[in-house]
Amino acid sequence: MAKVMIIDITKCNGCYNCQIACKDEHVGNDWTPIAKPQPDTGQFWMRTEDIVRGQVPKVKVAYMHHVCQHCDDAPCIAACKSHAVYKREDGAVIIDPGKCTGQRNCLAACPYGAIYYNEDLQLAQKCTWCAHLLDEGWKEPRCVDACPTGALKFGEEADFADLIAGAEVLSAGAGDAGAAVGAAAPPKVRTYYIGIPKRFIAGSVYDPAQDRCLEGVTVTVADEAGAPVASRVTDSFGDFWVDGLPVGTFSVAFEKAGYRSKSLDGVDTTIDINVGDIELSR
Amino acid sequence: MAGKQGDAGAGGGKSVIKGLSFISSPSSGDANTSVVDVKNGRVVRVRPLHYDWKYDREGFNAWRMEAHGQVLEPSFKSLVPPYALSYKKRVYSPNRILHPMKRVDWDPAGDRNPQNRGASKYVEISWDEALDLVTAEIKRMFATYGPYAILSQGDGHGETKIVHGTHGCQNKLFQLMGGFTQQIRNSDSWEGSYWGSKHAWGMEPVGQMEPVCNLMPDIGENTELLLFWGCDPETTPWAFDGQMASRLCSWWREIGIECIFISPDLNYGGAVHADKWIPVLPNTDAALYLGIAHQWITEGTYDKDYVATHTFGFDKFTDYVLGKEDGEAKTPAWAAAKCGVPARVIKALAEKWASKRTSILIGNGGPGIRGPYATEPARLQALLLAMQGLGKPGRHQVKMLEWGRRMLEDSNPMPRGVVMPNVMKHVYTGGMLITTENTEDRTGDMSRTAVKALKVAKQIIPKNLIHDAILRPPISWYGTTSCTFPLEDQFTQYTYPAPGCPEVHMIWTDSPCWITCWNDSNDYIRALRHPKIECIVAQHPWMENDCMFADLILPANTKLEVSDIATDTMGGQFYLVLNEEQAIEPRGESFSDYQIICKVAERLGLLQEYTNGKTVEELIETGFQHSGIQEMIGAEEFKDKGYYVVPTDPKWHEYTPGLKNFSDDPENHPLKTPSGKVEFFAQNLAEHFPGDEERPPVPHWIEKGISHDECLSSERTEKYPLLVISNHPRWRCHANHDDITWTREIPTCKVVGPDGYKYEPAWLNPATAAERGIKDGDVVTVYNERGAVLCGAYVTERLMPGCVYVDHGARYDPIVPGELDRGGAINTLTPHNLTSKNSTGMVSSGFLAEVERTDLDDLRRRYPEAFSRPYDKGAGLCLDRVLARSAKGGA
Repeated sequence: MAKVMIIDITKCNGCYNCQIACKDEHVGNDWTPIAKPQPDTGQFWMRTEDIVRGQVPKVKVAYMHHVCQHCDDAPCIAACKSHAVYKREDGAVIIDPGKCTGQRNCLAACPYGAIYYNEDLQLAQKCTWCAHLLDEGWKEPRCVDACPTGALKFGEEADFADLIAGAEVLSAGAGDAGAAVGAAAPPKVRTYYIGIPKRFIAGSVYDPAQDRCLEGVTVTVADEAGAPVASRVTDSFGDFWVDGLPVGTFSVAFEKAGYRSKSLDGVDTTIDINVGDIELSR
Repeated sequence: MAGKQGDAGAGGGKSVIKGLSFISSPSSGDANTSVVDVKNGRVVRVRPLHYDWKYDREGFNAWRMEAHGQVLEPSFKSLVPPYALSYKKRVYSPNRILHPMKRVDWDPAGDRNPQNRGASKYVEISWDEALDLVTAEIKRMFATYGPYAILSQGDGHGETKIVHGTHGCQNKLFQLMGGFTQQIRNSDSWEGSYWGSKHAWGMEPVGQMEPVCNLMPDIGENTELLLFWGCDPETTPWAFDGQMASRLCSWWREIGIECIFISPDLNYGGAVHADKWIPVLPNTDAALYLGIAHQWITEGTYDKDYVATHTFGFDKFTDYVLGKEDGEAKTPAWAAAKCGVPARVIKALAEKWASKRTSILIGNGGPGIRGPYATEPARLQALLLAMQGLGKPGRHQVKMLEWGRRMLEDSNPMPRGVVMPNVMKHVYTGGMLITTENTEDRTGDMSRTAVKALKVAKQIIPKNLIHDAILRPPISWYGTTSCTFPLEDQFTQYTYPAPGCPEVHMIWTDSPCWITCWNDSNDYIRALRHPKIECIVAQHPWMENDCMFADLILPANTKLEVSDIATDTMGGQFYLVLNEEQAIEPRGESFSDYQIICKVAERLGLLQEYTNGKTVEELIETGFQHSGIQEMIGAEEFKDKGYYVVPTDPKWHEYTPGLKNFSDDPENHPLKTPSGKVEFFAQNLAEHFPGDEERPPVPHWIEKGISHDECLSSERTEKYPLLVISNHPRWRCHANHDDITWTREIPTCKVVGPDGYKYEPAWLNPATAAERGIKDGDVVTVYNERGAVLCGAYVTERLMPGCVYVDHGARYDPIVPGELDRGGAINTLTPHNLTSKNSTGMVSSGFLAEVERTDLDDLRRRYPEAFSRPYDKGAGLCLDRVLARSAKGGA
C-alpha cells in the first residue's frame, strides 16, 4: 500500500502554502519518533522555487517544488552508517531522530539536495510526509492539505496510475545547490512531477509599414541540424510561443504569404527566450 | 482530497475555529476560516477547515457552475492564504506588545517632548499606572478643550473581530463622554472608482460595478476575453477572501477564456494565468483607454445601438477623443507615446476587445486606480465597457475580492447561500462612523442600511488629510471620503475645525499603520511631532509603525486569545457562521481591544453605559440569536460543532446577473446618475465643479495640473526619472504580517542585505538596474524630494523598464524620522496632494522617484544608533529595539 506525491507544476499558483504549512507543522513541534523540530528558518522540507522565464513582455513564472522524493532503495538509507534512515510500508523514507548521529552521510548521498542539517540538534532532517499525521488517520501531509489549487496530490500509487503515466521524475542534481554531484537517480521514486518547465522561444511579429501586429505568420523552430522541431501560427497580437524545448541552439523562421520571409539563427535556449519584435515586410 | 481530515491529530488537545480574514471591518464579514489546534496551552498548528468535518456534504447543497462542458464546484475546504497558515508566528511574534508602555521622555506633568516621538524609547509600566495616565489625559482633554479634542483613529486593516472590536471600540466611550473627532478612512484602495467612475455610472457606494450577482457563472458561460486591468487575483484577495479567485482563474483558462493582464508588472496572477501580458507605464492607463476608444470610434467598432439607448453625452466624449475639443486626436500612436504600449498592440487590443464578449476584472489597490488623477482611468474603464454593451451577457466589471462586501448579496458574484448570516447586530461595538444619537442601533445595523442610515460625526478628518489638519488648519474638503457614503456627499464641503469644535490635541489610535500605508507620511510624522498634540495613545498587539510615535501604548491581543463569534461570507464557496472559542490564554498582560476600552470605561465610571451591562458571553449569544441561522441549528449544537455551513440557495442561479436589467431595459432600470444612464459627460461634475480641469465632465488624460506633476514629461524627471508602482502587498495585508519569519524567507518578500537586514524588495527591470549599476540583491535607495527609503534590489523581467515597484506596508524603521527610512515604507515618498483638487482621495502609486545604489558603510558611519538597534534575523524589527534597556545585538 505504498503512497506517492504528485506535483503538478502547471496547476501551482505559487502561493507558498505548502512551504509555510510544512513550517507550521514542524517548527516548534516535536514529532518524535518521526521528526524533531525543524529550525525556524533556513530549512525547507517542501521548498518552492520561483522560476521567472523569458523577457518583457514574454514572461511566465513557474513554481518548482523541491522535496524528498521518498525513493525506494534510497541512497540516504544506504549511506547512513548509523542505520537511522528507514523505509516505511507506506513508502515514506524517515530519518529516525533517535538514531541519527549527525554524520551527514545522507546529505552527501541525496541526489536531490532534500536533506538538511540541524546544527543545534546535530541531526539530519527532511520531509516525513507528515507520517505522524498519517499514522493518526490523516489522508495527506500538511502541504497537500494546504494546497488550494490541487497542484499537490497524495495517495495510493495505484489510484494515480493515469497521472503517473503522463508524469516525469526529477533529474538527479536538478535545481538544488546542495544536491549530490554526479549521483545517479534511484530507479524508483515516490514523487512525480507534471509540467516541469523546459524552455520556450517566444516573440511578436509585425508589419512596420502598416504598424500592425501580424497575424497568421507561420513560425518554425528548427534544431541545429535544420530539422523542424515545432511550428506555430501567430495570433492577432502577432505573438507566438513555442514551449517545451530542450536547452540547445535553434533557428526560427517566419513566413507569411505576401511577405519576405525571415530567419533567426543561433537562438540559444540556455534560458527562455523572447526574440523580441520581428519585422516582416512585403 | 482528504476525507474527514478534521480531528486535532498528534496526541490530542483541542481544535477551535477562527476566521482569519484581515478585512477588519466586520461589516463585511470574515473569511479564511481556519482550524487552530492547541495542546498544552500552545498553538500547535493552523490549518484549513474541511467543511465536512462535522457535517455531511449532502446537506450543503453545493453549487455547480457549468460552462463549455466543464464543471466548477466548491472545494469543501477553506482556501486559506499563507497569512492564516503562519498566524501562529504573528501570535507569538517577538514584536508583540505584552505590557503597557510609556515613552521615557513623555512627562504629562512636565515636558512632553513631542519632538522626540519616533526616536525615544519606552519603559513598561503597570496597567494601574497606564489607566491612571490615560484617564487623566482623557479627562484633561474634555476639561481643557471640551468635547472633540480627541482624534480617534479606529479603522484600517487588522483582525476581524465582532465582540472584541477591532477597530474603534473607543468611539462609543468618547461619545458617551460628549464627543470626539473621527478619522474617516478614505477610499484608499479604489480612489479612482469612488471619485471617478461613480460619476460615470452612479454605482453605490464604492463606485465599482454593482450589482454583480451571479457574474462568475455568467462569465464562465458567456465571456470570451478577460482583461485583468491592474488586477492581481493572486494577491489582493488573499487577506480578505482567500484563494477561490485562483481556482476561478484556472477554470476560466481551462474552458478557453483568453486572459490578458494589463499592468506595469507581471503580477502574481499574470505570472501563472496570463495568455498575454501588456505592460503599461504606471498610471498611464487613461491614455491607453483613449487610444482604444479612438480606434473604435474611427472604425465604428462599438455598440452604437447600446450607446444610443444607454448612455449620455457620447458626442462630447467623441469630440474629445477625436481632438475636436483640444486639437489633439487621441490615436493609438498618441497613446503609445504616453503609456509605453506600442500603437500596433493598442490597435490589436482594441480589435480583440471589440470582437469578443469582454469583461474587465479589477482588484483593489492595482496600479491603475490609486495614482494622481485616478478618477480619469477609472471613469474611462466604465465608459469603454459601456461602448461594448455593459451588462449584456459576458460583458461586465467584476472585482476579484470582497465578495459579499458589507454583507450585501448585490456585491457577491458567486452563488449565494439560503441566508447571508450576520452576527454584528447589537453586538459590534467598534465602528467607522458614529452618529450623534442612537449609537447602539446604528452600529448594530450598519451592514444592511449603510448608505441610508449613516450620519456624520460632528467633527471629522479624512485619514488622508490628518497631517494638513494638524499642521495647516483650517482646512476644507469635499465629501466625508467614507466608502459607505452616497454620491451626493461628494458635493458637501466639510471643514476642520468644524464650527464650534476645538482643534485636536490628543490622538487615540488602534490602526497604527498610517505611516506605511497613507500619503506623504513624512509630513504625517511632522504632524505627530507637533507640540499641539499633547498625548498619543496606541492600542495594538505589535510594536510597529505609528505605535513608535505614541506616548502611551496599551497591549491588545489577537483573536486567538479571546472567544468571539464570526461569519465567513467572502470565501466564494459557502457562507459559514463560526463559534470562535478561545484558543490560548492572553499573552502577557494583553487584553482585547474591547476589553481595553472596558477597563478605561470602568476607571471613568462608564462601564455600565459602555457595555449596556452585557458580558462577552451574552454578546456572543446575542450574535448567534440574530445571525440568521438561529432557526437552522440549536445554540448548543452550534457551539459544540464550532461552525455552521449555510446551504447554498437552491435558486441561486435564478438571481439576475449583474446589470442585466439595465442592459435589457434602461428606462425602467435606470442607473443612479442624473440621466439614469452611463454618463460620458458627467452632469453632476458639470453642475457642482464647473471649470475643474482636473476632473472635467468628460474624462481626460491629464498630463499635469495644479495638484500633481508626476508624469514622465515633467521637468522633475531630470532628478526623478522613474515611475513608482506600489501595489497591495503580496506577503502582507497592508501593514500586517511583516514580522512572519517564514514569509520573510521568500525571495519576493524580503531581500537579504550584506548586513543581514531583510530589506523590502524594490523591483527593477534589468535594463533599469543596469543603467544605474545596480545588481540583484544590492541595497538601494528609492528617493524623491519627499523622502528616501532603503530597499533591496529585486532585478526581474516581471517589471517593464522605466519604473520601480515597491509594495506598501513594510514596517517603518526610521534612520532619520521624517526623512530616511530603512524599512522600505514607500508611502513616505508618496505625493501629498489629493487625487485632484476636488477629489478627496489620496495618491499612493504612479509618482516619480529615482533609485541608486546605497553606500551602507557611509550611512552606518553617519547614523550609528540607527544601525545598532536590536534586530531579529528572522522576524526583523522587534519590541527590543524600542525598550529603554536592551541587551540584544543589532544588524
